[in-house]
Amino acid sequence: MGRKYLALFRSAWMLSLEYRAEGVVWMMTNLMSIIMLVVWLSISHGGPVGGFSSGDFVAYYMVGLIVRQVTGVWASWGLSDDIREGALSPQLVRPIHPIHRHVAANWAEHVMRLTMLLPIVAVVLIITPDARLYLTPISIAAFMLSLLGAWLVSFLSDYAIGILSFWTSQATAFTQAMQGLKVVFSGILAPLQMFPAAMQGALNWLPFRYMLAFCNEILLGQTRDERLLFGLAVQWAWVLFFFILVRILWKLGARSYGAVGA
Amino acid sequence: MRYIKLIGLFLKANILVELEYRANFIAHSLVSLGWVSITIIGTTVFFTQTDTIGGWTFYETLVISGLFTLMGGLIQMLLQPNIQKIIEMVRVGTMDFVLTKPVNSQFMASMRYAQLFSLVDVIAGGVIIAFALGRIGFSPDGLTLLLFAVMLLMAVVIVYSIWMVMATCSFWFVKVGNLTELFNSVYDTGRFPVSTYQGVLRIVLTLVIPIAFITTFPAQAILGKLEPGMFVGALVMGAVMFAFSAWFWRYAIGRYSSASS
Repeated sequence: MGRKYLALFRSAWMLSLEYRAEGVVWMMTNLMSIIMLVVWLSISHGGPVGGFSSGDFVAYYMVGLIVRQVTGVWASWGLSDDIREGALSPQLVRPIHPIHRHVAANWAEHVMRLTMLLPIVAVVLIITPDARLYLTPISIAAFMLSLLGAWLVSFLSDYAIGILSFWTSQATAFTQAMQGLKVVFSGILAPLQMFPAAMQGALNWLPFRYMLAFCNEILLGQTRDERLLFGLAVQWAWVLFFFILVRILWKLGARSYGAVGA
Repeated sequence: MRYIKLIGLFLKANILVELEYRANFIAHSLVSLGWVSITIIGTTVFFTQTDTIGGWTFYETLVISGLFTLMGGLIQMLLQPNIQKIIEMVRVGTMDFVLTKPVNSQFMASMRYAQLFSLVDVIAGGVIIAFALGRIGFSPDGLTLLLFAVMLLMAVVIVYSIWMVMATCSFWFVKVGNLTELFNSVYDTGRFPVSTYQGVLRIVLTLVIPIAFITTFPAQAILGKLEPGMFVGALVMGAVMFAFSAWFWRYAIGRYSSASS
């Protein structure tokens, strides 16, 4: 399994190098969160806003950039195309589940984007005087665990939507709707604490918080102790939910796909 | 006169194309409305914590959101499809067909195509502006509307000129797609009043890549807060940029040796 992954990873890495320009474009789309940050800074000039000092905003959006690169997923597009055009058939007879190819491609892209992004984020965090991260052994370990969980929730939910292509040709519309919801409710746009109090309950139970904001909050020291444990429990419950969903949908989908006979 | 007739013909051709993809129209409308709501939510979140950003109240900022959506729609409808076509024509070599037509080549190259379903964004932007003005309780008089119309026209001219210059660059560079993507990112700053941005950034957004002239200043015009200096500035900026884009286009096609000959 490890060797197979290495081979898949290497070929995906080559491909991503070829399309480096598109990686740059992806970076540019992060500009919207940077603009949001700049606006927050202009508001928090006089004092903390909603419990965030200027430094906290910088730290939040910088960590957010990293988390967003790690949890960025687009496998459902490729999967939709493959299913529609029949390119999935040769992949099905290979001795490895097609999902692993998408995972490898996803991570090759992540590694490349992170190597571009990490130095920038590090410099910004160092030169911003009061941008402090809450770094303890527990918070770092919890952050890594939540990051893995955030990627799994993002990837598996996206993949589940992609599998819908077995039945409909409009699955990418669902993907886009999902991305839109993610931009607003995962904390890419603004820290979730800034949303009205009436929404906080729903935000805590929906999967979106666990795709990004939750990780940021851990590293900023805003979510600790029991709230941290509660968050991790909800997050990994979503991981389990989407994992089972993907397995069931895939089984049903692959069966009906086989019936068409390609 | 001939040019007006041509625009009519282009429009007819575009409508015919559009009618073939009606499902596409509905899907696009939904996606557009989704983005419009993200724009509005993004603005609203700030005002749960503060009363003004950059000296603008919530509904005043909403006017800017409306203009941002409206101009974004115009860009997608009129500029993006033509610019993509220009880039492609230069690469493939079919630009010759445009140059040999007996009309102004810049007109022909930049007016031919339209993505009509982006009209949804233009309308949504207009609705947001009208709604925000209604909530402020400001009903603009004739002069204000006239000033707004002129400022809006200048905004269109400025955006058009920027896109034309980027498209013209394709005579030298193949990957102009990245350039337009860069512009789209910078255009994103137009969601908020230019006074939100500090220092060098504000100067760049006013004078170098004049996003302020596209959303902030027209918004000030419709709110009746336009300073005379900005009005003159918009006229000068529009004229200079349009003249430059036209000169740059002529310069480029003067040096263009077609791909086929």
